[in-house]
Amino acid sequence: MPMKIGEQPFFDRVDEALENDFMRTAMASAQDRLRGRKLDATVNDEQIGDWEEWRSAGEEIRRHTLENLDFYLNQLSENFSKRGGHVYFAETAEDATRYIQEVAKRKNAKKITKAKSMVTEEIGLNEALEEIGCQVYETDLAEYILQIDDHDRPSHIVVPSLHKNKEQIRDTFRDKAGYTGTEEPRELTAFARSQLREVFLEADIGVTGCNFAVAESGTISLVTNEGNANMVTTYPETQISVMGMERLVPTWKELDVMVNLLSRSAVGQKITTYITNLTPQLEENSVDAPKEFHLVILDAGRSNALGTEFQSALHCIRCAACVNVCPVYRQIGGHAYGSIYQGPIGAVLSPILGGYEDYGELPFASSLCAACSEACPVRIPLHEQLIRHREIYVAQKGKVSEKLAMKAFGIGASTPSLFQGAVKGMPAIMKPFVKNDSISSGPGPMKLWTSIRDFPSPEQNNFRSWFKHHKDGGDS
Amino acid sequence: MKISLFITCLAEMFYQNVAKDVVEVLERLGCDVNFPKGQICCGQPAYNSGYRKDAQKAAKQMIKSFEHSEFIVTPSGSCAAMFKEYPELFKEDPEWLKRAEAIADKTYEFTQFIVNVLKVEDVGAVYPAQATYHTSCHMIRLLKETEAPFKLLKNVQGLELLPLENSYDCCGFGGTFAVKMASISEQMVDEKVRHVEESTATLLIAADNGCLMNIKGRIDRKGKPIEVKHIAQILNTRVEGRN
Amino acid sequence: MAEGTIHNKDAFLNRIADKLGRKQSEVVALPAWKHQPQWSVFEDASSDDLLAAFCKSSTAKSVFVKETELANLRETLEEVIKKHGGGPIVTTKDARFSEYGLEQLFSDPETHIWNAALGRRNVELAKQANIGVIFSDISLAESGTIVQFNDRDIARSVSLLPVVYVAIIPKSTIVPRMTQATQLVHGLVKSGKELSTCINFISGPSNSADIEMDIVIGVHGPVEAVHIVVTDK
Repeated sequence: MPMKIGEQPFFDRVDEALENDFMRTAMASAQDRLRGRKLDATVNDEQIGDWEEWRSAGEEIRRHTLENLDFYLNQLSENFSKRGGHVYFAETAEDATRYIQEVAKRKNAKKITKAKSMVTEEIGLNEALEEIGCQVYETDLAEYILQIDDHDRPSHIVVPSLHKNKEQIRDTFRDKAGYTGTEEPRELTAFARSQLREVFLEADIGVTGCNFAVAESGTISLVTNEGNANMVTTYPETQISVMGMERLVPTWKELDVMVNLLSRSAVGQKITTYITNLTPQLEENSVDAPKEFHLVILDAGRSNALGTEFQSALHCIRCAACVNVCPVYRQIGGHAYGSIYQGPIGAVLSPILGGYEDYGELPFASSLCAACSEACPVRIPLHEQLIRHREIYVAQKGKVSEKLAMKAFGIGASTPSLFQGAVKGMPAIMKPFVKNDSISSGPGPMKLWTSIRDFPSPEQNNFRSWFKHHKDGGDS
Repeated sequence: MKISLFITCLAEMFYQNVAKDVVEVLERLGCDVNFPKGQICCGQPAYNSGYRKDAQKAAKQMIKSFEHSEFIVTPSGSCAAMFKEYPELFKEDPEWLKRAEAIADKTYEFTQFIVNVLKVEDVGAVYPAQATYHTSCHMIRLLKETEAPFKLLKNVQGLELLPLENSYDCCGFGGTFAVKMASISEQMVDEKVRHVEESTATLLIAADNGCLMNIKGRIDRKGKPIEVKHIAQILNTRVEGRN
Repeated sequence: MAEGTIHNKDAFLNRIADKLGRKQSEVVALPAWKHQPQWSVFEDASSDDLLAAFCKSSTAKSVFVKETELANLRETLEEVIKKHGGGPIVTTKDARFSEYGLEQLFSDPETHIWNAALGRRNVELAKQANIGVIFSDISLAESGTIVQFNDRDIARSVSLLPVVYVAIIPKSTIVPRMTQATQLVHGLVKSGKELSTCINFISGPSNSADIEMDIVIGVHGPVEAVHIVVTDK
């Protein structure tokens, strides 16, 4: 499954990540920088008024759109094809890649340029195109870095190469692309520009994702900074855009709100450098616009969430605001999640799209601190959805020992006499483990706790007896 | 004012002194404190682990214990937030949903109750120390109470509150997360301890025993000379002549 | 462009409707949104306020800003061209250039005025150009953004391929933010007008922060940008 990163079990990936100091320093510093920028562009930007109002606007728009998804997809496809575009509804990743392969074959395409797109990562489009002999060029700087580093996988949905520092990038450029410069970002970036300049003009097909499609006009909106998406969609004769089926807005008016939420939440920009809105053209004889435009609308498991408590996960606009504040992501980085969708939204989406067998452990990789829910520009209750996933997971795959423990908890927590017995008995039970008023090596399930921290020793006084005595006037 | 104390299972088992401080502070502020005997645990450990039914058992016990209370006050933002989650827990059971909503509506975290209901910001406490404060996630994000503890601490005589870097990041407790994902939790609490040290404070204050158990456990294990206290312990100090 | 096609629609949309627990919806009315904070931004701003905000936001996006009156536009443009390295120059085919008295400036053989009849040769010339000159159709005060409605004459390449883009911004095109621009496009759609194949919102030179979150100006698109605001038009 292309969405999947690596074959190792979750805990092995976590261990590997925790040993990678380079990556962890990069993650922490990126989070800290992004946090400041986002705050400046949201709650601290007085010009835009109350950020919470914007979030409510986003939530309202997304909810309405998803509740009427069939209607707006129908409208989108009608308007797109009316302008001469071709719409392909793909139920699975395989359907999508097969269709795109067919287009590429029919156009006898050799070179394909791509703008950054997580959805094409999700369906493994590069591999599918390479399989039929096409040469695929990732043109977003981060994706370019990953591609020339032997197809490394994305660790962040907005900045896929976030796990690499500039020295590592310099070395990759030297080893794989004949670069001779320094690790200065400016110089590295100029190198990528020079490498791709001609490729853009020679490509046969340009492939993009889709930030938002506008149903009322059949328009595909791309939100970018580098100018690569413009190159990819201006010069090749054929353009193929792939969109997750949920990524649309009813009209241009809602596009405004959503783009604003996306730019500010993702990278703390008031607006990205380019918002490029493409509608298949009717005009003949244009020089710098594609002559053939395909839109692939992808389900690939998304409909699993429709009509369920996970429906609002489809409200996601892929801004990574939740990733950028997640204290777990901060420690383990993106690859540990084993999915191209990482962080809180990854832990919510991956089991929906790819099932509990491969991604069932991800919802547990959260302390439920709710920083994600607080950051989400469209108010997806992410931490609550993580709990819902846990409920499903333990019902299907929970360990018997844990089920029994929780059952015992349920009984204990509803039977006062049992609980009182436990509280009273605790000091005696724990006594052998207590040293200097704390426990540094505990029995049974406490072992995992005490492997890294001390455990408080139960105090000898019983609160209830004290309280009774106190109320009776014996204590002051 | 009659208030019912929801002391939390953690305080009852491990932090009885904190529990006593909570009672004494509330009484000094004129509250008539009672202690519903049937109370045990809010059910959060089961709920957050995905065991909804087992959590419901705990919740029903709590609802039964507290439904005749006027105000429910608890020294934990996280446990208060769990009471507020009860309506969600019983959303498919109309009878219990109603009872859950009633409980949720009258539940307050300890500092929130003092500041927002009792309208007191200076409890007359005196505690000379250089301290820093850990904002617990559930208190700030689920209860959305970001100010009450700071208002109270600001008026503690002698207490200097130092800023804590990345204060918004979770300490890594997260209930069963701390043991289920122990290696990640360890890194999180280590970063928290590092920031506490960097603040140069010799005292860490928080309003939630869960976070405190985690951070103190790590501080003690590493042998750092930093004291850790629940905010009730700070507020229950006074010298004659103040207030 | 040839006749469009749609594949697999019914099965796909029926599945969605099914999951949503109903039949496919035939008519859905857009609700009156409860939350519309976008309209309050610069709500009471005068055209001078908007002009000032546009200039400030442009600068924040690493754009060089010049203000001029129509009478001095030609001179200003000449200066800008000189300062940013001179020709070759490429421009869109736009009647406004003569309207703004710039026709003569572009009679220089160094300047290529886009001519769709020349086909791909245009792209070649745009690629070789140092400066591309365009007009902004709508300009956004909040973010220092220019908007272009591209077509066969207002070619996309002019603002994209040269090292520098220079945009001429009539003061009257400045609106508070994207809200007013998208409202206008929505109006065009409603009235059945055909949309430009590319409606491009451009805010300064291309850039990237993909390497250690350090912002680098000038990636695949232009490396420099200049906004010349014509204050009396």
